[in-house]
Amino acid sequence: MKLVAQLEDLLYQSQQAPKKEELRLSAWRILVHESEAVSLGIKDNSPGSVYTPPSYRQGESGEVFLVWADGTCSQAIVQLPFKNDPDYWPKELEQWKLASYEDPDATHIPSPEPLELVALEDRAIEQIIAGKDEVLFDQVKQWLKDRPSEAKMQGSIQAAWGYRHVRTSTGLAVTYQQSQFISWFSFDSLVGGGFVKRRLIRPEEREDLWVQIVNQYEGMKKEAPPVGPQTQVILSPSMTEDMLGQFVLPNFSGDRVIEGQGAFSKENFLDQKLVFHPHFSLLIDPLRPLELGSYMVTPEGVPAHRTVLARDGLLQTPYLRVKDAVRWGAKPTALPQGTGGLYLKHQAEVPWEEALQGVEDGVLVLSVLGLHTQEAVSGSYSLSAPHCLRILKGKIVGRTDVKLTGNFLADLAAPTTKTAQASLSNLPYLMIKTGVQTL
Amino acid sequence: MEQIEIRALVQAVLAETKGLKGYFIVRAQSRREWSLRLSNGRLDRVSTGGDSGYGVQAFTKEGASGFANSDVLALELGRTLIDKAIRLARRNEAIGSKRNRQIWEAPQIQEEVRNPAQKVFGEISLSELQEKVISLHSRLRDGFPEGSWQTSYRQIEEVWCIGRSDGTLVSFVIPRAVLMHQGTVRDQGKAQSTLIYRSGMDATVLFEELADHSLEKKAMDRAAFAKAVCSAPHLPSGHYPLIIDYGLAKGLAHEAFGHAVESDHMNESVLGEAGKLRIGLRVARPGVNIIDGPLLGDWAYQPFSANGLIRQTVTIVKDGVLVAGLGDIFSGEEAGMPVTGAGRAESYGQIPLPRMSNIRLLVDRMLPLTPAEHLMDEVKVVRETLMQNGELREGEKNLLLLGYRGGQVNPKTGDFVFQCDGIIDVADPNLPIYQPSIFSGKILSALEAIRGGLGEGCFDAIGACGKGGQSVASSGGSHRYLLMDVDQQVSLGGEQA
Repeated sequence: MKLVAQLEDLLYQSQQAPKKEELRLSAWRILVHESEAVSLGIKDNSPGSVYTPPSYRQGESGEVFLVWADGTCSQAIVQLPFKNDPDYWPKELEQWKLASYEDPDATHIPSPEPLELVALEDRAIEQIIAGKDEVLFDQVKQWLKDRPSEAKMQGSIQAAWGYRHVRTSTGLAVTYQQSQFISWFSFDSLVGGGFVKRRLIRPEEREDLWVQIVNQYEGMKKEAPPVGPQTQVILSPSMTEDMLGQFVLPNFSGDRVIEGQGAFSKENFLDQKLVFHPHFSLLIDPLRPLELGSYMVTPEGVPAHRTVLARDGLLQTPYLRVKDAVRWGAKPTALPQGTGGLYLKHQAEVPWEEALQGVEDGVLVLSVLGLHTQEAVSGSYSLSAPHCLRILKGKIVGRTDVKLTGNFLADLAAPTTKTAQASLSNLPYLMIKTGVQTL
Repeated sequence: MEQIEIRALVQAVLAETKGLKGYFIVRAQSRREWSLRLSNGRLDRVSTGGDSGYGVQAFTKEGASGFANSDVLALELGRTLIDKAIRLARRNEAIGSKRNRQIWEAPQIQEEVRNPAQKVFGEISLSELQEKVISLHSRLRDGFPEGSWQTSYRQIEEVWCIGRSDGTLVSFVIPRAVLMHQGTVRDQGKAQSTLIYRSGMDATVLFEELADHSLEKKAMDRAAFAKAVCSAPHLPSGHYPLIIDYGLAKGLAHEAFGHAVESDHMNESVLGEAGKLRIGLRVARPGVNIIDGPLLGDWAYQPFSANGLIRQTVTIVKDGVLVAGLGDIFSGEEAGMPVTGAGRAESYGQIPLPRMSNIRLLVDRMLPLTPAEHLMDEVKVVRETLMQNGELREGEKNLLLLGYRGGQVNPKTGDFVFQCDGIIDVADPNLPIYQPSIFSGKILSALEAIRGGLGEGCFDAIGACGKGGQSVASSGGSHRYLLMDVDQQVSLGGEQA
């Protein structure tokens, strides 16, 4: 019997006819994932080394949230029992009751609402899981054949497919299929790129990504002139994503705002304070087809819908889980999946190729060391960025190492900040004026 | 699942491989975790649960491997996982993968290690744990009301069993617990946060904290320091003589050095040459020693590797000279280093990689230091001790870097970065405070710059090692503080000079 069915039986019975009155539930919520995944890696130009062998994973696990008749609540991670023991779940239920606590704001279980349909599954990935996995092995062979001869290559490719089940005591019963495809590679652990979506990479995307990374690798071979104080800093799309994840996302988390642990206060949101340049808007969109950050329903049973966090530079709302929404006095919002589903928009965005032409003196930052160590609340950064690409008169001219000092929240508020559209990413290149010096 | 049950399961799965060609490793893990979190006086989350399962790593007789795992700890799945793993291994053989038959050379071991916890998981009920954590959280809020506080407590128990085709069967229990206070403070419109923790094997951590409130005192001191940092000026970037606390020293030893001596990294390590560890290389001044190995009761304790070998304590650097690396069964020999059982994995679902456990950096030249109860008192003692020993240079900043916020290293180039909570100039009698700035440079230069230690060894700085996308408990430390000379390859970020 499937885990979700076992849990439904257990919780329904505990709500309607509990074996002990103190174990009576007034409401509940279940989230279960069933998934299968296959993967293969490259280490030091070797496919399927002992550290990156072809792998298969299967899982069936989830979490339950319970509201007891006495108003307390519990939450627990659940898996299938390891042996067929009829007392397993009743014992678990007693354990969960022992772990119950008072949190009145958390006890609200939303009623079902109409769901918007969004494509979350690529049938081609299901075929891979079913055994037609040549595409993974072929891709790895192709990478190794095409790699720059002097490069030490690392890489990985993974396909996953499965079901997501959400059930609530208020009547929501949703099961849908979803897939995931991740591939990445790097040369000499200096330059790399990847692709992450709910569908397979298309041939033209694979080619564009490969050409882009090989060009960056070639660009690294020549030493370039050092940067100066006027040098424009350009964050690559993956760097933009990392910076948003480190400095912006935590400050839009509802619980952090409510608890006074973010850069912005609740009053700032209610007053719609201007915190970014008016050209910028920030939103969560879980309804884009086959994007990793897309979903049909949150783990709490809230249907997917778009949420604007900041419009034209003005704060709109933090992202709110059900409990935060109760405390905030609003409806729950869309939720990001890491930085997946988060989009930064600028009114004057131009394609990257066009933006690059206009860069007289710039440096393209592909990665930094130690970003995760930076203070999210203040937005301040002091970062080391070895292996950047120097841009002079609209052309990449070689490699340089820089140190960056600034404040990312201030960068997003500055009138000098611009963005450029990336063809392979949902997030843009970010062109900023910030403290930059030779490392 | 108890140790006896998990051993029986692994043995039964291995029995299914009898008659199959090749070699099999079965790793099973049963993990339980209780966690609770309070936020500004409210119980925010109490969670129970775990993650259990097992994985089969199969090798063809030529040494190509495949791996299959499931989060269902059921014997019925054993045959499926074995079939999947060996099928993938054969596919792997067909694509010309690099073969590895080292596992056939591993020594056969049969061992069952008893749970070292003083208070076994579940001995203290969740409601009692809640009571204790609420009490600690309330005291902290009363003591430092201007802060926004989160208090978390996590208690984990991992039961592991590793079995192999050669009859090896080892099982052990890893108990871990940590109490954390995270505070956010504001001053002059700016905010800073601070995180402080106390770790151990089990709920004893809470009992000890209730007895001495040492974490609470540290949290309040660190919050006051963070408040001062909010309005502190930036330092000009440059090269300075430094004093780093043992949390940062653990970061330096782990990120900047330990990863560079792991056997799977020798093709890309600054400490490797033609794929071999550069044993005999002088990497630090005489008197500097780096040791890695599990410590009983420590956050990163693990008595056996995830491949079923004994985890050895290794002196990596002795008297400034590189003498050994962290070798696992698969790459130790190829990397020119002994196999020391260094393979560790986050869970049954991942392939073990060579990695550290508790790494500590110690220097023969140690100045004694009497730790003070409060942070700024201790900083004064540091200054006085350095002055008495002629270690502070006139007219030059001597910067004490406090708090470890994490770091990153590129083992190939030797570039590292670390971040601290804030900086104090101990050469100035007013002990001015500065904003944190990135501490970066070349790892060999940083090691070469170490000139002494201040205070006895403190090895309880904890973290999670993220190598290979996994998250594995790590720990370590050094003397209470390490002294580092100015070096042109080691710098602090900050404003442009």
